[in-house]
Amino acid sequence: MEEGFLIQQRQMESDLSSDTSHKSSVDFLMNWFRKRSIFVLAYGTGCGAIEMPPTFTSRYDAERLGIRGAATPRQADVIIVSGYCSYKTLRRIIRTYEQMANPKYVLALGSCTVNGGMYWDSYNTIKKLEDYIPVDMYVSGCMPRPESILEGFLALQKEIAEGKASSWQRYEENYEFYRKNQEKVLGRNVAPAYDADWYLYDGGL
Amino acid sequence: MRYSVAVFPSLLTLFVLLLLGSHAAWQVDLGAFGLSGVSVALKVTSLANFFAVLVVLSLLAVTFIAGRYSLSKVHYLLLYLLSLALLLIVYAQDYLLFFVGWEVMSITTYLLLSFTLTPKALVKYAVFAIASAMAMLGGIMILYSAGQSFLYADAHAAYAALSPVMSVLFLLLMLFAFFVKIGVIGFHYWLADTYAEASDFFTPFLSAVLSKMGIYALMVLLLYVVDISAPPHRWLAYTLALMGLLSSIIGSFKALDEDDAKRLLAYSSIAQLGYIVTVLSVADGMGGALYHSLIHTLAKLLLFINVAAIIAVTGKRKFSELGGLIYRMPHSFVLMLIGIIVLAGMPPLGGFASKYLIYNNLLEEGSLLVLAAMMFSSAAAFLYIYKLIYGIYLGHPSSKKLEEAREVPFVFLLPQYLIAAVTVGLGAFPGAVVPAINSVLAESGLALLPYSSATQLGTQSGSYDGLVVILAFVLLFAAVLWLLLSIKHNRVKEAKDRFDIAYCGEVPNEGTRLHYAYSMGKELKRVSFVGAILRHTSAVFYLFVSRQLFAFAGMLRRLYSGNLSVNFNVAVLFALVLLWWSMK
Amino acid sequence: MVEYEMIVIDLFLMLVSAYVVGFLYYGLYRNITARFQRRIGPPVTQSFYDSIKFWVKEETLSHGWMFYLGPVIMMAGALMTLFFIPFFYQSDAFSGLSRYGNLFVVLYLMMLGPLGNAMGVGAGGSPFGAMGVTRGLTRLFAMELPFYIAVIALMSINHSADIATIAAHQESYNAFSYPLLFIGALFSFIAMMGQSPFDVPGAPVEVYSGPASEFSGKFLALLMSQSAIFSFAKLVLMVNLFLGGASGFAELLLKTFALFVFVIAFGALYGRFKTPQSVDFLVKVPTGIAVVGLLLAIYGG
Repeated sequence: MEEGFLIQQRQMESDLSSDTSHKSSVDFLMNWFRKRSIFVLAYGTGCGAIEMPPTFTSRYDAERLGIRGAATPRQADVIIVSGYCSYKTLRRIIRTYEQMANPKYVLALGSCTVNGGMYWDSYNTIKKLEDYIPVDMYVSGCMPRPESILEGFLALQKEIAEGKASSWQRYEENYEFYRKNQEKVLGRNVAPAYDADWYLYDGGL
Repeated sequence: MRYSVAVFPSLLTLFVLLLLGSHAAWQVDLGAFGLSGVSVALKVTSLANFFAVLVVLSLLAVTFIAGRYSLSKVHYLLLYLLSLALLLIVYAQDYLLFFVGWEVMSITTYLLLSFTLTPKALVKYAVFAIASAMAMLGGIMILYSAGQSFLYADAHAAYAALSPVMSVLFLLLMLFAFFVKIGVIGFHYWLADTYAEASDFFTPFLSAVLSKMGIYALMVLLLYVVDISAPPHRWLAYTLALMGLLSSIIGSFKALDEDDAKRLLAYSSIAQLGYIVTVLSVADGMGGALYHSLIHTLAKLLLFINVAAIIAVTGKRKFSELGGLIYRMPHSFVLMLIGIIVLAGMPPLGGFASKYLIYNNLLEEGSLLVLAAMMFSSAAAFLYIYKLIYGIYLGHPSSKKLEEAREVPFVFLLPQYLIAAVTVGLGAFPGAVVPAINSVLAESGLALLPYSSATQLGTQSGSYDGLVVILAFVLLFAAVLWLLLSIKHNRVKEAKDRFDIAYCGEVPNEGTRLHYAYSMGKELKRVSFVGAILRHTSAVFYLFVSRQLFAFAGMLRRLYSGNLSVNFNVAVLFALVLLWWSMK
Repeated sequence: MVEYEMIVIDLFLMLVSAYVVGFLYYGLYRNITARFQRRIGPPVTQSFYDSIKFWVKEETLSHGWMFYLGPVIMMAGALMTLFFIPFFYQSDAFSGLSRYGNLFVVLYLMMLGPLGNAMGVGAGGSPFGAMGVTRGLTRLFAMELPFYIAVIALMSINHSADIATIAAHQESYNAFSYPLLFIGALFSFIAMMGQSPFDVPGAPVEVYSGPASEFSGKFLALLMSQSAIFSFAKLVLMVNLFLGGASGFAELLLKTFALFVFVIAFGALYGRFKTPQSVDFLVKVPTGIAVVGLLLAIYGG
């Protein structure tokens, strides 16, 4: 169980302590295949999602990198958190993230995921995504253009190939930390409830 | 289970089995009883043997599960009388004994049904049964008037002696009677309610055997009385083909619209028997018809017993109230899976053999569009088959009670296992039935099916090897399963509970409607021809007929009113007219 | 015993060629569709990467034994279909088990896999899966009708239900001798390959990818592999029935590729029909064309 800044520290030093750095040629091959074929969940969580369609369609063509869309979290490798996360969306993001199959990667777009961005003083959004789900790659901007997103994907591919993209293992190892933060904003029942109990833990409207 | 009830069925089975090898025949002239010129005959023919085996098989299966239904002695007595009547129908060689058997069958069935049917359904059954019996009697009498004999042996000559009008009338009357019993569409108005509301142990018997009596009667008509390949009877062939085709297609879509498991299977019976009626319209179709009768009996016994077991354990019959039983009742699920594969006629199991014969018969005859329609209705059957198994076993349970259901009692499982084993055997050895079919064809002088080995089933157009198909499937299945299991790096985790499904980020709970496909056929109504089929029912036609009858009776009322003086005057007038006419 | 070993080697070679060629075709499909859309698309071997990536995932989720067995049955069904279709009508090589079966067997084996998968999807408990399966079965009976009519006409003309015989009897391709039959069967074939406008059962957004919605990891890899193998088997069947069969691998590849390119070009250009729309269309237009073709073929001399 670690505090947030210690996790950040570890992230910056992740070259040395990652578990999936390739120890054998089998690992190398597996990571190579995972790098060449990336399925992105078709889920636009915030206003950054407007930049996703241009990235995946003809003009900027992410498919030449082997990236294509996937319909369900079961089939997806990458979830793109594109922009701000209101508490309502955060619930669904967490649920979707937990339903994805390992190894899974999180690409966070926009400055809202880094420090709250434009909504830094909002009552209804989270300010730091890393507290709630682990992030592999940040692409900052407001919002990042398709060229930046493609560069983010290239960097993610490089990390996958080197075995450094291990956010899913971080989630499993530090689950109590993440869960504590999630419950702080979403209440006991982190999974979406159809009543409005998420009001209660933020002092109401 | 009271073992004394097993005595009679066992004895009957032994009797039938003993008769299988013998060629016993018995004929007596009823002149000694005052009916001169009338002879009755019984004979053990191959055709009789074939259907007698089906009868005793169904009787054994039904008696086995009947122990769970707390039946009185009257029930069993009626059931045994019914089986005796069926055997009389099957072994009879003249239309008099045939009709006696038919009537006893109708009456005992009516009495058995009266225990559980609502009055409305019972009246429907009674009206149709009586109408069909009277039509048959009319046809038999027409034949007697031409040939002065009830015997099958004299029937062909008698039919040839009929005038064209009378021969058409004879055929229409007989067809009406048989179609009502088989449940051909248009004459099926009684069938769905009867099958659905009959006691759960009796419905398998109804579907497996009683409808086959109509088939048997049709086969007797085509073997002994009418030669369907002769040019004057082309209209008969077209009628049979058309009615069978309509039954298959319309029956399949109507089955899809049902929420009640037993009604779905009732319409499925209509559809399946449509195949037999269609293939009988072809000159060489007897082989396919016989094989499909066997397969349909087996499949319907299996499925109806399965559904009876589910009803016995859960008390529910509608798909909207069932669901998710696969992990509580894995044996029943596998047995129903085998049952629906046989019903769909898919390789590697036995159902494909009968479909193969039917399709080849139609292909060789040249009825190509009929064949296309048959294959179409077979593809449409997949929908209601999937609805049946999804509604009961797959999906999610619709109530708390279903989540704690136990496996069905062994009494229901044993007959299903035996029947399933037979169908798997027929899948591997489809040619095993061919000698029996060939003996029927040989007796009637029809062309035989080629027979090379028990594993191969063939016609002039080609053959397939059932053992290769089933072995290939089993081996490939095992190989792929081994491949999946041997990749250790990719571990398979079990989901924590049934709500852990990808649901667009939401979490469903008990209140969410997840058992989707229980209402599976509803969206098909938006397809134009399916919607047309489902919107129209034969009820409209029969209501029209009954209204005309009421109008006619209303007209007669003027003459036969309650007024005594009017009645007296009408009676006197009528007597005078009769007197004058007899004096002429 | 030598004969059984030869058959096993033959089957293995058929499997390998179907797997490799099927996946290459799917890679080419993404490339060609990309060119239609004025972009480059992934490398040709992309489908191999996708399926291998799914094999090497760390975990797979399962919903019980029937869910586990669904993809297995689907793969077994696809392989059975492949093995009963002869690749070359003149030689015994690559004929697999076709001497033990015929066209009726193949037509019904084509439905075995999807039905097994339907069981697995139903056991998984996803209502979207059940929705996709329902739409798939609805599309099935509509799309098979023109195909059955065309196939029945061919069987009747050749007086045989054997695929090799039908393939061998074509002096000029059946596609040119009986063009109406070919057109009717082609509509069905587009639906069978799962291309627009008849591809609503697996639609990613409309039905949350339908039957594939709960499969991950190993099962998805198996589904992708069976899709490739099954597509190749169907292509070979169409080539045998309508394009004169093949006498060598090069000719087979050429003909299957031509057919495949036509089908995906069609799919790239058209949008998706709703299920009642596709059933309505398939039962009216291609069926009508096929019926006219059948009548002309049988009675027109």
